[in-house]
Amino acid sequence: MTSEELILTQAQELRRGTVVLACLALLEEPQYGYALLETLNDAGVTVDGNTLYPLLRRLEKQGLLTSEWNTDESRPRKFYRVSPEGSQVRARLVREWRDLVTSISRLTKEA
Amino acid sequence: MTPTTLTERYVHEVVRRIPADQRDDVAAELRATIADTIDARDPDGRGAAEREVLTEMGDPIRLAARYADRPLALIGPDLYPAYIRLLGVLLAAVLPVVTVISVVVDVLDGDSLGAVIGAALGTVLTVGAQFIAWLTLVFALAERFGKRRGAARGAGSWTPDQLPEAADSGSRTAAIGGLAVDALILGLIVWQHTAKPYVTDGGERLSVLDPALWTGWMWPVLAGLAGLVVLGVLRTATGRWTTPLVAAYAAANALFALPMAWILHSRQFFDSDFLADLGGLVAPDAFYTVTALGVLAVSAHDVYKRVREWRA
Repeated sequence: MTSEELILTQAQELRRGTVVLACLALLEEPQYGYALLETLNDAGVTVDGNTLYPLLRRLEKQGLLTSEWNTDESRPRKFYRVSPEGSQVRARLVREWRDLVTSISRLTKEA
Repeated sequence: MTPTTLTERYVHEVVRRIPADQRDDVAAELRATIADTIDARDPDGRGAAEREVLTEMGDPIRLAARYADRPLALIGPDLYPAYIRLLGVLLAAVLPVVTVISVVVDVLDGDSLGAVIGAALGTVLTVGAQFIAWLTLVFALAERFGKRRGAARGAGSWTPDQLPEAADSGSRTAAIGGLAVDALILGLIVWQHTAKPYVTDGGERLSVLDPALWTGWMWPVLAGLAGLVVLGVLRTATGRWTTPLVAAYAAANALFALPMAWILHSRQFFDSDFLADLGGLVAPDAFYTVTALGVLAVSAHDVYKRVREWRA
């Protein structure tokens, strides 16, 4: 494995947990799967559809998201939004994230 | 949308692998999502885009596993250590014992040597395959339907007490090997007596060893050999030699070796009819002396090795 490949693999590991946080942040407004995927990728949080769509259902099952079918348009779509519990979890995760950023920046400055 | 489109076939392949109560909902969402993606890529026609989008969604089995939150492994990391440990015990300790028992039964039935060896190989293959198959099935079911993650899995907790003794693997192999040799000698002695494998030109069946021994010295020899086999099994099961085990091993070895040496020394070993049919073959004195001393030396060496393993 070249160092470039190693960096890509490790970066992917670093990003893995951030998708959940980004979803919880973005879904303050109701959104459907594909539009959310586009928004995330535009924002620099790269994720594949085959990861994101099952993830949304899992978060719904855990009670962090709620969902509703919108049949107003010709193509019915399932819209997700954050539940009250999801908001609490997001607040805690944001704090975790800030602590991590602080710790890592302190560590990397000393190094 | 006709049911034969690629998308429809793909959605069907995914949802038939997830729980029934979620199928319709996941199918509807997948259809809409795939259609949204295709429209964004190729707003006009629906040619290459559909194929491309489905390729990116990937293997339906993988996607279904993600929807059902199911592991993509037959036996996952939680159960793997327990699985490997149990498989090792079954194949290294239980399988040899089962094979020896089946060989002894065949020998008592008076089967020929070839049939006994064939049956032993068959036992190793079929029983070994059964062990692997059933153990794997049970663990795969536990993986699939057992509790996900969490400390509730008793099999997952490991303590340093489970570490094997450092010298264990070598002495264990030696113990299993010794056990197999003892069982083979025991089997051969019983077999030559019950099957009378030697056939004279006149069609008379003879045993190789003197049948008169069965009213005398053969019994301590057999008891000693049986004792050695049992002790070998116990050693394999407990993992090391304990004081009582080593003492019993020495006693069983003496029970086997001393009468055997006496039988050889006093020329009671071969059936005289068997020797006569071989053309009046007379083994030289040295043969009996050397063999008798050889039996004593091998037994003494075995006991010495066990004592060293026990003290190590």
